[in-house]
Amino acid sequence: MTTKLLEARGITFGYGHNAEILTGWDATFSAGEVVAITGPSGRGKSTLLYLLGLMLKPGAGQVLIEGADVAGLADARRAALRASRFGFVFQDAALDATRTVLDNVIETALYRGEPREGAKRRALELMGQFGVDLRASHKPGQVSGGQAQRIALCRALLNNPRILLADEPTGNLDPASATIVVDAMRNQAHGGGTVVVATHDPALVARCDRVITL
Amino acid sequence: MNALRRLLAIIRESMASARSQPVASVVSIIMVAGMCATVLLTTGRTVGAEQAVLGSIDSAGTRAVVVRAEAGAGLNTAVLQRLANVDGIEWAGAFGTAHDVQNAAFEGGTRVPVRLAYGDKVNQLTGSLPVPNSSALASKLALEQLGMADEVGGVLSDTGADYAITGRIDVPDYLQFLEPLVIVPQDEAANATSVPVSVLVVIAARPDLVAPVSQAVISVLAVDDVSKVKLSTSESLAKLRALVEGQLGSFGRNLVVVIFALTAVLVAAILYGLVMLRRKDFGRRRALGASQGLIVGLLLTQMVVLSIIGAVVGSVGAAIGLVSTGDPLPGWDFFSAVGILAVITGLVAALIPALAAARRDPLKELRVP
Repeated sequence: MTTKLLEARGITFGYGHNAEILTGWDATFSAGEVVAITGPSGRGKSTLLYLLGLMLKPGAGQVLIEGADVAGLADARRAALRASRFGFVFQDAALDATRTVLDNVIETALYRGEPREGAKRRALELMGQFGVDLRASHKPGQVSGGQAQRIALCRALLNNPRILLADEPTGNLDPASATIVVDAMRNQAHGGGTVVVATHDPALVARCDRVITL
Repeated sequence: MNALRRLLAIIRESMASARSQPVASVVSIIMVAGMCATVLLTTGRTVGAEQAVLGSIDSAGTRAVVVRAEAGAGLNTAVLQRLANVDGIEWAGAFGTAHDVQNAAFEGGTRVPVRLAYGDKVNQLTGSLPVPNSSALASKLALEQLGMADEVGGVLSDTGADYAITGRIDVPDYLQFLEPLVIVPQDEAANATSVPVSVLVVIAARPDLVAPVSQAVISVLAVDDVSKVKLSTSESLAKLRALVEGQLGSFGRNLVVVIFALTAVLVAAILYGLVMLRRKDFGRRRALGASQGLIVGLLLTQMVVLSIIGAVVGSVGAAIGLVSTGDPLPGWDFFSAVGILAVITGLVAALIPALAAARRDPLKELRVP
């Protein structure tokens, strides 16, 4: 029996006075699978990802983590869940250009209230696995796009999250870097997590276990 | 322990954040330093001058009420017990008739007057002495006239009484008229009896209380012959003091309010601009799990740290400026107050930008244009 890690039930969402982007949307994401969310631009792929990641509140419906509805929680509780249960990868890596690569990777430790030294050790291990450990003291501006996305992946995996959400993670990458990122996401799923990816990339879609088209 | 560790982590992150934006941080420090320096060099200078003027007025005994009684007037130490029930009195003491004494170590020395001193509060000036009713303290002037370079020795009076000088007393402004001063503090038993005295000194708690305290003193004197008693006050000086304090104080307060308000607006504008420049940074932090409270806390902590640095820099700079121009310094209290107000102003100014930062929409900020 598969474990349901993340569920959306009847989610409805729209921006301001615009028409609703999502209406009564349902989906389940289980342990061990990588799910691609695909579709034309403007259909709400990123919006859905941010709703599942508790960054947005749905107008109606529920978001459940391991069976518990968390969509309606207060900001501080949802922020704590984002920091502890989720890992996020964004299209442009979204690193802080003014801080070192290592500081970027351990950023979420502060939000979890986790000791810095332990986070540093784990971050350097992860960075070693992804071949960016020698860049620890560099600034993000001094690394390539592929390295930046691997650094962002290290940041997302620092707390070994059971839910990994990725928004166009291979959008700006060369094929070799894209393969490293996709392999890492598959490993995370096979380790008992679930990975949800919003993407246009056919190569990435082809390596996902399931595809949801909006 | 966890809370402390978290607080330290927030402070470290705030400082790292401040270091990562050196231009904005330096501008914020300069703003706060400028605010402190401006206040200290304008209002601070005024306060320093005010304190100097008030000090000069006070040295004339602004709050003193002095009663002198001729022999046979009937003024005695019982008045001190009656004055103990009067509010608004900071200090009261009575002094007996002066008797000349000279250094017991040699013949023909200069004679100086010695007075027995009564009242519990006399001990505030002298402290407890080794031999009650026999130990005496002398002022610097009296010691010089007695020829006691070591500030200890024996004195003999005309009446044959001898006293041991056990140290020096710093004569307060309101007792300067008794110089050269040698006093022999009397113990509680002596205070309990009604011993005739020739001088009564009462210090009002505030300059504006001089008039009512004078009235109260007159009403409790209980002398036998009013014509042999003379009361002198410094009521006119007290009025002048209140006038100086009121006018200069009002000017200074208004100036401080204007300077702090202007700086708060400027700091808020700079920080708001900084938040707008860093909106993607705050969006990322929100997305990765920073609560709105944490974002506000980080920005406010950052501003507090920068404000403290700015306040120290501005205060030190202003102090150097005041000293180099020969102006009086306004005092440690004023420096502290300006520093604390500067930090609070920085904190208040940072509040709206911090709230704006905390409300950044992660989706809007993180989407690639």
